[in-house]
Amino acid sequence: MLKYTTSINDTKIFDNLKIFETSPIMKLIVRGKSREFISSVGKSLNILLPNEPNTSSSGANVTALWLSPDEWIIYANEINSDDSNSYIIESELINKISNTGLGAITDVTDQFVMLNLTGEKIYDLFMKGSPFNFNEFKKKKGAVTQTIINKIDVIIHNKNDAEVNLFVRRSFSNHLWSWLNDSARFI
Amino acid sequence: MFIINCPYCGEREQSEFKAGGEAHIVRPKQPTELSDDEWAEYLFMRKNIKGIQLERWVHIHGCRKWFNMVRDTSNDQIHAVYKMGEKPPIK
Ligand SMILES: [Zn+2]
Repeated sequence: MLKYTTSINDTKIFDNLKIFETSPIMKLIVRGKSREFISSVGKSLNILLPNEPNTSSSGANVTALWLSPDEWIIYANEINSDDSNSYIIESELINKISNTGLGAITDVTDQFVMLNLTGEKIYDLFMKGSPFNFNEFKKKKGAVTQTIINKIDVIIHNKNDAEVNLFVRRSFSNHLWSWLNDSARFI
Repeated sequence: MFIINCPYCGEREQSEFKAGGEAHIVRPKQPTELSDDEWAEYLFMRKNIKGIQLERWVHIHGCRKWFNMVRDTSNDQIHAVYKMGEKPPIK
């Protein structure tokens, strides 16, 4: 069994808002442009990579978020067991994409921390420190954005009504966590 | 504070972007044949126009893509954005 050291390891509950770190969750960055790349990734994952900006697509096992015209982040829908940190999906993609030169696969499981936020007050909290306009975003299930919160780079995925997954670089995660907790007292 | 329309992500606030200076500066084909003055001209000298200028910008806190912008430097009005490799949409 692997000894995971999570970054946050905490759950906070406020009025109409709950925040915690989901870990360990597999996260991969996939990059590529060609049609073969798109269809090959689609076959391996059993979902189509979203090509419309600021959207996502979700399958039985993984969710893919659009980051830029040639970049996506893919994350597992379920927590990984702590027996191993190699993933079947990753080795499949490395075989089909990296080894064939179609694109690049990077394991960013430990680079990004995934926070799960639930409750009616999520966007009131974000609005305290982000220049992004969440008016349309919060109504659109599956919407994705990369923006800044309190000057920290984040990726935000509107998973469901009043449920959001937020990705932040691990080295910034404690700083963001402190800010979220501090600001949540005033919403 | 102003809004920039990223050609890939749509309208975002200025703080997500970084400016990258004058656009469409062509690298000399044979740098070894240039005099120091000509090389310095290419490397350092910029027009720094007051008025409408073609600039490079990057959506650094978003999709991290570079693109071009037509901006009036005297009042920050953005007249157009266009992707890298495209022709400027003005005269
Ligand atoms: Zn962008």
